[in-house]
Amino acid sequence: MKTLLTSLVAMLLSAGMPALAQQPAENPQYAQAMTDALTTMNNRRGQPATTDLLASANQFERIAGVETGQWLPRYYAALNYIYLGFMGADAASKDRYLDQADLNLKAASALAPNNDELAVLKAYVAQARMVVDPMSRWQQYGPLFQAGIQQAKTLNPANPRPYVLEGSSLLYTPAQFGGGTDKACPVLKQAMEKLATFKPASTFAPAWGKQQIEPMLTKCN
Amino acid sequence: MKPFLLVLLLLLTVRPLWSQSMLTGRVTDERGQPLPGANVLIRGTYDGGSTDTTGAFRFSTSRTDTATLFVSYVGYEPATRPITIGQTPALTIRLHELANELNTVVITAGAFEASDAKRMTMLKPIDIVTTAGAGADITAAMNLLPGTQRVGEQEGLFVRGGSNAEAKVVIDGMIVQNPYFSALPDVQSRGRFQPFMFRGTSFSTGGYSAQYGQALSSVLLLNTTDLGSSNGLTVSLNLASAGLTYDHTSARSSVSATAYYGNLKPLFALVPQTVDWFRVPTYGGSSLTYRLKPTKNGLLKLYGMYSDSQLGMNVRDMASETGRMALRQHNRNLFVTSTYTDQWADGRWTLNAGLSYSRDTDQTRFDSLDFDRSSERLQGRLVLSRQLGTGTNGAGTLLAGLEAHSIGLGNTVSGRSYRLRDNYGAVFVESQLYLSRHLAVQTGLRAEYASSLHRANLAPRLSVAYKTGRYSQIALAAGQFYQTPDHRYLYRNTSLTFERADHLILNYQRIYNKRTFRIETFYKNYAQLVREFTAQPGQPEPFDANPYRFPYGQTTNSGSGYARGFDVFWRDQQSVNGLDYWITYSYVDTKRLFQQYITTATPTFIANHTVSVITKRYFEPIKTNLGLTYTVSSGRPYYNPNRPASQFLTDRTPGVHNVSFSASHITSLKGNLLVLYATVDNLLNTQNVFTYRYTADGQTRYAVGPQSYRSFFVGAMLMLNKRATFDPSSL
Repeated sequence: MKTLLTSLVAMLLSAGMPALAQQPAENPQYAQAMTDALTTMNNRRGQPATTDLLASANQFERIAGVETGQWLPRYYAALNYIYLGFMGADAASKDRYLDQADLNLKAASALAPNNDELAVLKAYVAQARMVVDPMSRWQQYGPLFQAGIQQAKTLNPANPRPYVLEGSSLLYTPAQFGGGTDKACPVLKQAMEKLATFKPASTFAPAWGKQQIEPMLTKCN
Repeated sequence: MKPFLLVLLLLLTVRPLWSQSMLTGRVTDERGQPLPGANVLIRGTYDGGSTDTTGAFRFSTSRTDTATLFVSYVGYEPATRPITIGQTPALTIRLHELANELNTVVITAGAFEASDAKRMTMLKPIDIVTTAGAGADITAAMNLLPGTQRVGEQEGLFVRGGSNAEAKVVIDGMIVQNPYFSALPDVQSRGRFQPFMFRGTSFSTGGYSAQYGQALSSVLLLNTTDLGSSNGLTVSLNLASAGLTYDHTSARSSVSATAYYGNLKPLFALVPQTVDWFRVPTYGGSSLTYRLKPTKNGLLKLYGMYSDSQLGMNVRDMASETGRMALRQHNRNLFVTSTYTDQWADGRWTLNAGLSYSRDTDQTRFDSLDFDRSSERLQGRLVLSRQLGTGTNGAGTLLAGLEAHSIGLGNTVSGRSYRLRDNYGAVFVESQLYLSRHLAVQTGLRAEYASSLHRANLAPRLSVAYKTGRYSQIALAAGQFYQTPDHRYLYRNTSLTFERADHLILNYQRIYNKRTFRIETFYKNYAQLVREFTAQPGQPEPFDANPYRFPYGQTTNSGSGYARGFDVFWRDQQSVNGLDYWITYSYVDTKRLFQQYITTATPTFIANHTVSVITKRYFEPIKTNLGLTYTVSSGRPYYNPNRPASQFLTDRTPGVHNVSFSASHITSLKGNLLVLYATVDNLLNTQNVFTYRYTADGQTRYAVGPQSYRSFFVGAMLMLNKRATFDPSSL
């Protein structure tokens, strides 16, 4: 009995070993580059906002170009392009930024399939596309937004970001179309609760959301 | 000393390895304008930087040897540059803009597109349903566009001097045999299709692609929506009808089923009618839409509909003693169409295939006389296209396709029955080539054969577009267009040939900052039109103004004609906050010798001047979309039997004015979306006259006007659908 147990433990350990070995060793160069890039992203440098966002997206794309097995640089590059998608000068340039977000998102999804954070970004891109021309795009992108949110919730019920996006979207949707504070506030509160307990999977894993919804929550109650 | 020297030596040799070289330079566009936010990096390293607002970059690298500099910027072609680090002075890198909708020319002459997918269009599909005066009818909305005529007593599209028989409605590439409810004497019938079915509309006022044929003046191309997006039940109720729609969508397929019943009694009770109805129109029908995505790029679309309608009206009869005749009609219409599209090799190859069948029968009685009519059409279509090249220069599309139709037609005229089977086939090739971003050329050739004529034709088409500025372009279209003559002529004469029209169109447009200006001028030549001769030997040619007469005379292809003119379109969604307005003006000068015309004359369906002013605005405080449309057409020729032959069709009706209003309000009812809408047509109650007709003795003239003068319509739509999102402007 004892030998069986030890051999089982040994088997489990040996089975676990290669898996551990496959975990990308925290490459110090990568860690430094990501730390720098996230610092840049979170600190504006006084240039026009689009130039700053582009510079941040560029920085992540440069990391992605070297670290071809990491999905996070692609994730943050896409996130920057989504922000740009809301800020572009006209419909055409907004769409061009969002095309770039899609490219990064596609590359990230290939590296990390069925990832809840990437599902959130898919919803985010759909929302940004819809905002470009809501009158004629809601029909196409509304369902894509919903699908991304739903997928993220299913993949990781603890992730607060699908609730952040859903809540803020509901807040800006007029009541007669199923939005408004009545609908938005419970979702935003849910997002806040999840944010309080959420543990990012790694040092550089996405952790945003709180800053975005704090001012929105003042409209609740 | 020695160890110290060694260390010094080591330091000297090692130092360059750790030294940081600075790389500086600028990134600009073709014209030397700075590109802020461009990414500059050394391939395979973390080293790089972004350009600042002046387009300048500056970063350090630990590399020492030769390397590849990579520069990219959103919307521009990336550039690479071999460099030797430490020896490279400040660099200037010029990037070239990628082809996009702003900097690349598009083939536009003759086409009016409403699309969500393309950004540079003048209309959005939603415009069709939100325009006052269009009554959510696709054709009525198209009739507000430049180049069209509004002919109040007939249905269909009258384009640039052409009759309604010269325009074809095409759904997903398939010709629709009966796009409108059956024609009635002096009453305009509506289209059979709901605008919500379509995601894209392209209305051609001439010079259209070799992919389409059998239309001398115009094709209206309707593209149905792809996979659906909603789930649940929609209930609609208005003054004329009640309907139910059920939608179900899954990841790869969607189904939508509709059933409706209509009865015009409530509407007629509230809005006085000029028509004497003894059996108020009733109709019922259903449709089924199915979409399936079997592969990543493949899409199968199935659509089937059936409708049944009945009516009875007293029509004026110039020949009878009572002066009127009872018309009873029972129409049954079936239309089934299926299309399949797929793409291969990264979208380089595209296949479009379709199969459709339609059958339409009218049981019609004029008093006791039998005037039954039937038509059926089976058609198949296959189009294969290949993308050429990747860049802009030399890029384009090559396309080839074929279609085959078997058309069966039948008419009964006072007990005598006529039958006809026409097998029609066509092959076509078309190439669209971008010689540069500024110049595109589309050439096409179409060959057709019709068994009813035992003849073939060859129709060349050409379209050229040249970009004159960042926001403007000029375009030219020319081509030959053939159409099989009205089948009623073919029952009795099988030696006729195709009717022909030649088009030449010149177009200028400028789209900038939500303002669109477009002007188009055209010349059309008509040849081989069918003429009918009914005179007894030795007698002058009589003219029968009754548009519903059955042609029984001798026919030849000796008719001809011309149409020329220009039209202007201006749309502005920018100048007044929240207001969207457009103005169109069309001028046409046309004469032709065809049908029973005694001499060459301007046809009765022509108004030389047509103006439309369309406005719409969403009012946030009352959550209501309001629209106001004003249309005016100059008088049309009408036949006065008291005139000598030399003054044939020289009389003109007064002009036709119409102001219409529409409102739609969105609210929610127990958590379900509720849309309320109301329209008023002919707000000013103008007593419009479309044409005049005379009694047989030529002594009495009566006016033909609309079915009702000032009229209103109200309705509601309730969406019992948790996930449905709805937009204020979609009604």
